[in-house]
Amino acid sequence: MAILHTRSIEKHFQEGREVVPVLKGIDFDVDRGEIVALEGPSGSGKTTFLSILGCILTPTSGEVVIEGTPVHEKRLAEVRRRSLGFVFQQFNLFPSLTALENVEYALNVKGIKNRDARVEAERVIEAVGLGDRQHFLPRELSGGQKQRVAIARALAGSAPILLADEPTANLDTQVGTQVLELFRALAKQENRALVIVTHDPKVRTIADRVVKIQDGALV
Amino acid sequence: MSVDLATRSLLHDKLRFFITVSGVAFAVTLVFVQVGLFLGLMSNASLTIDQIDADLWVTSRNTPNVDFAHTFPETSIKRVRSLPGVARADNLIVWFMNVSLPTGAVEGTEVYALENFERWNFPQNVVEGELADLRRGPYMVLDDSAKKRWGAFAVGEHREVLGRRLKIIGRTVDAKSFTTTPLTFMDYRLAQALNEGELRGNTTYILVKLAPGADAEAVRAEIRKRLPYNDVFTRAEWAKRSRSYWIDSTGLGLNMYITVFLGCLVGIVVVAQTLYTSTMEHIREFGTVKAIGGGNGEIYKILGKQATIAAVAGFALGALQAFALRPVMAKIDLKLIIPTQLYVFVLIGAVVLCLTAAMISFRKVASIDPALVFRT
Repeated sequence: MAILHTRSIEKHFQEGREVVPVLKGIDFDVDRGEIVALEGPSGSGKTTFLSILGCILTPTSGEVVIEGTPVHEKRLAEVRRRSLGFVFQQFNLFPSLTALENVEYALNVKGIKNRDARVEAERVIEAVGLGDRQHFLPRELSGGQKQRVAIARALAGSAPILLADEPTANLDTQVGTQVLELFRALAKQENRALVIVTHDPKVRTIADRVVKIQDGALV
Repeated sequence: MSVDLATRSLLHDKLRFFITVSGVAFAVTLVFVQVGLFLGLMSNASLTIDQIDADLWVTSRNTPNVDFAHTFPETSIKRVRSLPGVARADNLIVWFMNVSLPTGAVEGTEVYALENFERWNFPQNVVEGELADLRRGPYMVLDDSAKKRWGAFAVGEHREVLGRRLKIIGRTVDAKSFTTTPLTFMDYRLAQALNEGELRGNTTYILVKLAPGADAEAVRAEIRKRLPYNDVFTRAEWAKRSRSYWIDSTGLGLNMYITVFLGCLVGIVVVAQTLYTSTMEHIREFGTVKAIGGGNGEIYKILGKQATIAAVAGFALGALQAFALRPVMAKIDLKLIIPTQLYVFVLIGAVVLCLTAAMISFRKVASIDPALVFRT
């Protein structure tokens, strides 16, 4: 059974008096341990779709089912805490916190505190190969290292679904490839579902499946 | 222990933190100085009342405050002394007189005249000479504060009061009135002799000490019955009346409230502005907090904690500044009284002020769309 499933997702935005349909009835499934690349040109609706998968936006119509349970509009934050991990194109790390604390804080938000949070944060920071940089602030890390911290933050807390938005867009080719391989290895190793929104053809090489979106529909 | 994003984020931008804390400290210092000065002035307004060991004060009808005394017959005291419950009663003259200085200048002095000063434990801080000696001749004891207006003086010197040379036989410190006119202490009969026209056979107050266990209200009622053309106040009432006179007549209270209000306003604007700017600059971070599952409450906690830290740090700095100002103020004869309750009140006020300032940011945070984390 799919860990993440969407049924007839539609999303409309109001632009002035005009209603603009961005997503047009998308059905989509991801299984546990599966890596899916979501490709599409700019304006195709892939980030909007990712936001809906990530329970950040609600669809105009249709349903998102996570771990067998339909997502209720009023429990989005709870679902994000429990089931989802995010990696952003801009990393979105907290500049005042060290690499380790960035991960630990995300765990705190998920309700994991004190020693449990510290142990789990150290585990994932080690897993992404930043054990020796764990006390560095983001400004002291390279782009690739920042993205590794972001991956560690997404992995921390055993969320079964990981969502990544253009994770290699701000990295050079070599670092991007390393980050993707690391991401794949960790997702597979921990049996997490991974959806990567991307323009980057390298992502195809690590994905189990590539899904294309165009004009708000899967093609 | 959980990661303290609020504190770390606040201290990350040290300059902004300093500006925020300075804003609060400014408001706190202003409140301490204004209220402290006000309390200092007010304590002067009733200082002699607070020091004189009298339970009741009999005054001429409608005397506005202790400094602006009116006369009434000194024989009234007999009706007071004869009352049960009265342990002792004495006449007290408080009167403004002119003093001719060796320079030829004429200055004013506020004379306190009693037959026996020790009996009323007044004045309290005699640093040179004996009050008992005042009864022995044309003598006076001067408060050191007179030096500012009269120039230097020493025990053994003479000054001319209403045309009569009086020898200075002692000095006091910290005996002051709200009017800032220097206080002079002399024998009751001498004061009457100096101004026979107004004071002969007259007094300005009757001080009453109650017998142990006496009912103050009952004694007061009896005095009122016997002296229907006088007022009778307890020490607390009389002190309050004297202070209120100056507050009402000088607009001092209003001035203090306006300054305190403006101080708080400046503080609130600085804190609100810096917190709001900080919130706007950290909007993506707050979006991230929401995206990873934190609600508005999580961010409110961060902002609330930052506001509280700014308040406490600003309070500490402001209180320190006010404390450091005390000796400076004292040098220019300004008393800064900061009671413990004021510290507590201002600390609570600073926290409330900063949390109020943070409310503006709360509104902004509530409208953050977590989808902004996907925007480049």
